[in-house]
Amino acid sequence: MKRDKRFKSGLIPSLNPVRFNLERWSYTVHRITGVILVGYLMAHIFETFQLGGGAAAWANTMAALHSLGPLELVGLWIVAGSAFYHGGNGIRLLLNEAFGRFMGKPILPVYPYSPTSLGKNQKIAVWTITGVVLALWVWAAVYLLAGVGVI
Amino acid sequence: MENIRLEISRSGGKRASYDVKYRKGMTILDALTEVRERQDSSLGYRHSCRMGICGSCGMTIEGRPMLACQTQVSSFNKGTIYIEPLHNMVVIRDLVVDIIPFFDLHRSVRPYLIRNDIKERDTSDREYRVLSEEVRKFLQFDYCIMCALCYAACPTVALDPFYTGPQAVAQAYRYMADPRDEGWEKRVDLLDTSHGVWRCHMAGACSFVCPKDVDPAKAVQLARMEVLKKRILRRRGKEGSRLVPPHVAVTAKEGVKPPPFDFGGAKS
Amino acid sequence: MAEPAKVNGGSLVKESWNMVVTYVTGAILVFVLTFHLLLHSPLAGKAFDATLSFGYATGNLTYYQVIFGFLLFAAVIHGFNGLRTIAIEWLHPTRRAWLLNVFVFLLMAFFLAVGTVTLVVVG
Repeated sequence: MKRDKRFKSGLIPSLNPVRFNLERWSYTVHRITGVILVGYLMAHIFETFQLGGGAAAWANTMAALHSLGPLELVGLWIVAGSAFYHGGNGIRLLLNEAFGRFMGKPILPVYPYSPTSLGKNQKIAVWTITGVVLALWVWAAVYLLAGVGVI
Repeated sequence: MENIRLEISRSGGKRASYDVKYRKGMTILDALTEVRERQDSSLGYRHSCRMGICGSCGMTIEGRPMLACQTQVSSFNKGTIYIEPLHNMVVIRDLVVDIIPFFDLHRSVRPYLIRNDIKERDTSDREYRVLSEEVRKFLQFDYCIMCALCYAACPTVALDPFYTGPQAVAQAYRYMADPRDEGWEKRVDLLDTSHGVWRCHMAGACSFVCPKDVDPAKAVQLARMEVLKKRILRRRGKEGSRLVPPHVAVTAKEGVKPPPFDFGGAKS
Repeated sequence: MAEPAKVNGGSLVKESWNMVVTYVTGAILVFVLTFHLLLHSPLAGKAFDATLSFGYATGNLTYYQVIFGFLLFAAVIHGFNGLRTIAIEWLHPTRRAWLLNVFVFLLMAFFLAVGTVTLVVVG
């Protein structure tokens, strides 16, 4: 039996959080937003490179983007939401992984079991980040899509 | 609820339905045994202790890895229950999966006390000193029954067959936190690889499904911090705890017994 | 007895150092990206379309060249390290693991070069 067939279900099962915990959902969203952001980063670096070509080159680039119609702003809105979520969740993961925050201490398990790593502190962190991200995303929608809210 | 229907994945991608008469307190394992004894003796599944301590009866029940003996039929509150073999593992037959790779990964992290003085370890008639507050730092991770539910739940195991895995990393940390162990540096090096502790992304599914509250996700993050202590803070491994009382050399001379253990009270 | 996969991704450094770089660049990104997004937010005092004008974009790159430099390096390193993580897990190369690292490094170098040229020319 070849080693690489012994475990492994594949990419889609690894991203499928149905029937699992909140943190597994946040892992899936974190991964998807990360890929969106890297894709956008590559395009954005090429796009801003056109600034070096002068005003005319930049105007052509903007015209090409505007020709996408509403897709341009919707796409930017999705990228903005991805950035908010990936950054916020990333801070939580940094605190979890490098500093052991929200994990709780080793305990003596007592039934009914409730793992401290998925306990109240972790849930508060996840929901706080989700709430802040959603608020920022709504604000971004109002600004980008409705063109409202200039201060 | 009078009858329940079990939809079970069988070998070859088939799915079979069995109707079982419900009894109060029936577990999924009871229902499977009912099927095998009265309806279909070819149904293959693992089980042993029936009381959640051997870890044999792990399977995917309604999309989530669970122990069949610890799962009440009534907890689903529905008439049809879907049962599949554990995910992320090669199926041998029906609900039986190949868990040899799981045991291989467990063995790979050296899940035993490592001592530098092998002669002392092998010839001693004393115990190594460990205080109860020191035991609390790793006892939770010692409750693992090696049921492999965490591997079935882990999204990285689903993708990367070389990932050390939540159970193995948790056991590595169990020994790293043990004051008797002198293999801290070796274990850090074993975990600090591209398929080691850094492939965990804190999805927490392992802790979510663990039937013994071993909380492997917590152990993995604690293990990560140990790795960072060595790499960034340049910490070195400590000497393990000493024997209690001090080791007395045992002569091999025939008929000579070692001195009796002195409890420190009345003269022996 | 199986040993854990000893192939360290064909990397010259331990995986923990890759992760430290990911953590540090991630932390830096939170600040510099927030700054970048604020320049294109309602707090800039303009409609979004106006923040995409040639004058405004080149002005920002000139005045905040250092911050955008940090943004470029942190984003490229963090992003491509993340792609490398996904590739290690999904493709799990063993014999030619070093090829993956070289490929990622070359991609990083390419995008860093393009971005740096933009910063230097415009700034």
